[in-house]
Amino acid sequence: MLDNLQDLLDPQLFWGYRALLFAGLRFNLLVLATSGLLSLLLSLIICVIRLSRFAPARWLAGGFAELARNTPEYILLVWIHFVPPVLIGLALHTRVAADPLVSATLALGISSSGYVSETLRAGVISVPRGHAEAALALGLRPGTIFRRIVLPQALRRMLPELLNQAISLFKGTTLVSLIAVPDVMYQVSMISAQEMQPVPLYTGAALAFCLIVVTASLLVRIFAERWRRVVL
Amino acid sequence: MIENWNRIVWPNVPLLLQGLLVSAEICVLGFVAALIAGFVAALVRIYLPPLRWLAVGYSEFCRATPIFVQLVWVAYVWPELFGWPRDFFTAGWVALALQSSGYIAETLRTGIEAVARGHREAAYALGMRPGATLRRIVLPQAFLTVAPSLVNQLIVVVKSSTLVSVIAVPDLLYQVLGIVNKYYEPIEILTLTALIYVAVTTPLSLLLNGLSARIRYRYGYVSGRE
Repeated sequence: MLDNLQDLLDPQLFWGYRALLFAGLRFNLLVLATSGLLSLLLSLIICVIRLSRFAPARWLAGGFAELARNTPEYILLVWIHFVPPVLIGLALHTRVAADPLVSATLALGISSSGYVSETLRAGVISVPRGHAEAALALGLRPGTIFRRIVLPQALRRMLPELLNQAISLFKGTTLVSLIAVPDVMYQVSMISAQEMQPVPLYTGAALAFCLIVVTASLLVRIFAERWRRVVL
Repeated sequence: MIENWNRIVWPNVPLLLQGLLVSAEICVLGFVAALIAGFVAALVRIYLPPLRWLAVGYSEFCRATPIFVQLVWVAYVWPELFGWPRDFFTAGWVALALQSSGYIAETLRTGIEAVARGHREAAYALGMRPGATLRRIVLPQAFLTVAPSLVNQLIVVVKSSTLVSVIAVPDLLYQVLGIVNKYYEPIEILTLTALIYVAVTTPLSLLLNGLSARIRYRYGYVSGRE
């Protein structure tokens, strides 16, 4: 029984494929970087529009954020991977194939922007009104006030929370294997199909992700504590 | 567009409804199991100090592992290691429950710890037993504190439940992807599916958040309407 278990759990198998798995991890990190940037950019736009005076634009941006939050990531991923290419193809009368990396970036970026925009908005609201008013009294223009006075303070306040959201985005990047981005889980499923040994590989992957995420959260927690004490 | 609609969507409505039913079952089973497991983990963490590390490790593991990784892990590894679950439907809701129970344990723990010490001490002073104190004094107040987070967690479960299609559980998305592969016409049906999910999650979150706000107001947890 114990022998059997050891055979089933053979960690050598997981470690033996480390080159492939690390190559996969690089794709996870790549998607994390691209979709994280996209999410930040989109969130900034949503946040600015939601704080504007023009009510219909406010509703539109709010609706977009709500839609991004309430659509399951996997459905958004599949939708973006399949629907827009067909529509573009119909419009241009050619065949367009979606690049999995682009689809992954768009889907995860949009879906994350639903949450990040909310965080940014909370950050912007938390900046005392007096700062913007003082800047206005000094003759700064509204755009400059937002860029130079409000946004830096908002980002500084929200940095720990943004890092936490980056961690959940990293967890979300495991989905991209489903549209054939060769990330960790894609490699794991390929290898385990080839070796006919699902146990060590999937267990190894679960433990590896757990380790990465726990370490990252711990670092963020320590960082946030210092950040609050030193910078804020 | 209309022609595709008539050809692809309408004839498959029964299939979609079937899938929707499976999705609903998975969500309900997963969420209820998550509530139970999360509750047990939170109680163990607070009231059984010798086993505290076990509860902490459990909820940390559940929260740190991505849901997709957990899902394939439960579906492909558990049957070989533990001989259970025997079918993918069970694996699906078990994985959803596993993931959520970590978050729920953490939420419930903060909720229970947020109940003022004095309330518990007052109950003891009145001669209530520990079990009764927990049931009648601590948990009702903790529940009021965590109600909004539990609502959020339910929405997360509904959203994550789409992933069970990956392990061939015939939920809504599984049926839809089958239809997409059959006709090679993704536009109408995928958009419809996305809209179905939005049409389920948005009102659900509004409704339940409204309900939890009402309950919190009714039982004096918050003094004004939120």
